Amino acid sequence: MKWTVAWLACLGLASTAIAADEDKDLDLIPRAEPAAKPAAAAQPPGSLARIYVENALMFNTLRNDLLVPAPPPLPPHWEERLFGDARVEWPLGPNAIVAYSGRLNVVTSDDIGFPSRENVTHDLRELHLSVEPRPRDYLDLGRINVKSGVALGFNPTDFFKARAVVDPLTADPSVLRENRLGTLMVRGQHVGDGGSVSLVYAPKVTDPAPVGADPDRGFSPLFGRTNASNRWLVKGSARLRDDISPELLLFGENGHTKIGANFTESVGQSTVAYVEWAGGRQLGIIDQALAFGRQTGTIPDSAPSVIDQGSREQFRNQAAIGASYTTENKITFNLEYHYNGAGLSGDDWNRWFSAGEGQSASSPIARQLWYVRAYAAERQEPLQRHAVFLRMDWVDFLVPKLELTGFALADIRDGSTLLQLSADYAASDFWSVGVLAAATTGGRRSNFGSLPQESTILLKVQRYF
Amino acid sequence: MMLVGFAMVFAVNAHQAAAQTAQEIVTASDRVRNPTEPFRSTLVLTEYVSGQERSHSAFVLFSKPDASARFANLLEYVEPPRDAGKRVLLDGRSFWFYDPASKTSVRISAQQRLVGQAAIGDVLSVNLAADYSATLAGTETIDDAARQKRNTWHLELKAATETAVYNRVEYWVEHGTFHPVKGKFYSDSGRLLKIIYYRAFSDRLGAQRPSEAVIIDAVDSSLATIAAFSDSRFQDVPDAWFQRDYLPRLQVR
Repeated sequence: MKWTVAWLACLGLASTAIAADEDKDLDLIPRAEPAAKPAAAAQPPGSLARIYVENALMFNTLRNDLLVPAPPPLPPHWEERLFGDARVEWPLGPNAIVAYSGRLNVVTSDDIGFPSRENVTHDLRELHLSVEPRPRDYLDLGRINVKSGVALGFNPTDFFKARAVVDPLTADPSVLRENRLGTLMVRGQHVGDGGSVSLVYAPKVTDPAPVGADPDRGFSPLFGRTNASNRWLVKGSARLRDDISPELLLFGENGHTKIGANFTESVGQSTVAYVEWAGGRQLGIIDQALAFGRQTGTIPDSAPSVIDQGSREQFRNQAAIGASYTTENKITFNLEYHYNGAGLSGDDWNRWFSAGEGQSASSPIARQLWYVRAYAAERQEPLQRHAVFLRMDWVDFLVPKLELTGFALADIRDGSTLLQLSADYAASDFWSVGVLAAATTGGRRSNFGSLPQESTILLKVQRYF
Repeated sequence: MMLVGFAMVFAVNAHQAAAQTAQEIVTASDRVRNPTEPFRSTLVLTEYVSGQERSHSAFVLFSKPDASARFANLLEYVEPPRDAGKRVLLDGRSFWFYDPASKTSVRISAQQRLVGQAAIGDVLSVNLAADYSATLAGTETIDDAARQKRNTWHLELKAATETAVYNRVEYWVEHGTFHPVKGKFYSDSGRLLKIIYYRAFSDRLGAQRPSEAVIIDAVDSSLATIAAFSDSRFQDVPDAWFQRDYLPRLQVR
């Protein structure tokens, strides 16, 4: 009995010692009580708003030894942009909202004098009415950004992405979506317990705008970019299990149909794997570009094709296969393989460089060759057939609230790369500052090494309201 | 004599623990932290660096337990302004992050939900008994966040399902009231990641529940967050809300 009591007493002392150790944790509790609660938290908002002003100053370094010289206009050596950006939703009764999303820019650069008509532009990203006539049945009408896809670097199923991005301040494909124009459309959607289905119809309201030119841009809604053909989309997802809900898409434009699918799966605690695929009958990207150039008058009908793929309209696949992995140190990596069946083959690239080598920048040949690249860039279609994309996002890098983001996009064929690294620091709840550096690397006969833009530095400051 | 008295207290505590299994203690403590009905709440996070207030975040949170007492959570950022409108869905093994700026939903991993602003995964409704198997490590008298002595069960929790956020948890629950006092949360590699104190017990959602949690970053102990619940009320939440395609449609009014 005596030994039992002593043993229990020892356990009790040990327990006290452990408890004393636990009490050291108390010293880590902040002593200051939180100041007044944020105003918005005290009262849930009737309308949703995200408004900020940003000043961005950008410097570009251009290559002067291009194998195929690029015709003007070249990227500016410097650009100063001040813009106000707003996304606002106003409720119209219990079952309807009006949403606006847009950006008002004041821009000047070594190419744009100040003051001039070109200094002020407005990007109308969205303006639509959404009603919910029955619970979780929705009808939307207006300019709407419909985005699809689960990959970060390339989204084959994002069928409304073509020509929607204006004045990008970053090359990061996953950020490019933030300032893109919506499409004038009507959309119906039902969200049920086991999945959802959406129907979209986007009518043609004007003729297509030529690539690389937005005449009288100013406050124009640029429907020539977003509503220059009749398009429709059917999209559905089904919750097969709590963590598996594949998405299928059917898209039509001018009598051409594409199908697509998105699939994600969680693998363990730190990894998410995903596949995005789309396929349909189409020409190669060069032949698409030349046909579009002739349709819009940029390339005269009488002008011979300097380069063509001689491609037939055939079923072509596009895919992005990848995975994300998050470390305990708050770093998330995304690694993806991109395939574009309509992209340039090795022979296509050889012919592109051979046709343009030695030409002057203003020659019709150089113009046609660069038109193809501008067309692909505006449509956000990769020129390369095979690529690898690696993205890193490091939250609280070195100090809290400093986020380091970088990516590398490499053309597997020639090893050339597009690189970008950016750091953003949330200095307070309202102020952010950031710096971005981007570069293209590769030989003169490579995809990214043949671009006029060699490097970019961007400095920005943001004030949120 | 004092030793004998201490031993007697210990023996009584041990007897109490035997009367209730460790798992039952965790379950009872879960019921203190969370109700068994769907609800919504406003959550304000105040982040501190070296004891100084650094930033705020605010969310509206919708939580709904399923048949196995696991919560599905859906939240919308209200503040800071740069994050207003961002939404997060956490349902079983399915986690999605929706950004109104890009209008896209990105699937995130269990690890990623613990990353970034305010470590969302720490402040959501989670029933530990559903995802962890508990054993009793002992009974201890420890100070709570207000430095008041509490007689507690010291429980050792091991992840038992894929949906468990942490690999291992040390958990202190007060005798009698089953109030959670403190938790220590460990990674797969055994690294101590977070220390959480539960405090400010008040009448909320029909019972005495903690309305604040102090979350200490054990990796960088200069960082701490105080999570405060307010405006809590029961609200039916349709199952259809807990899927990716509903995220853009959520209206917090």
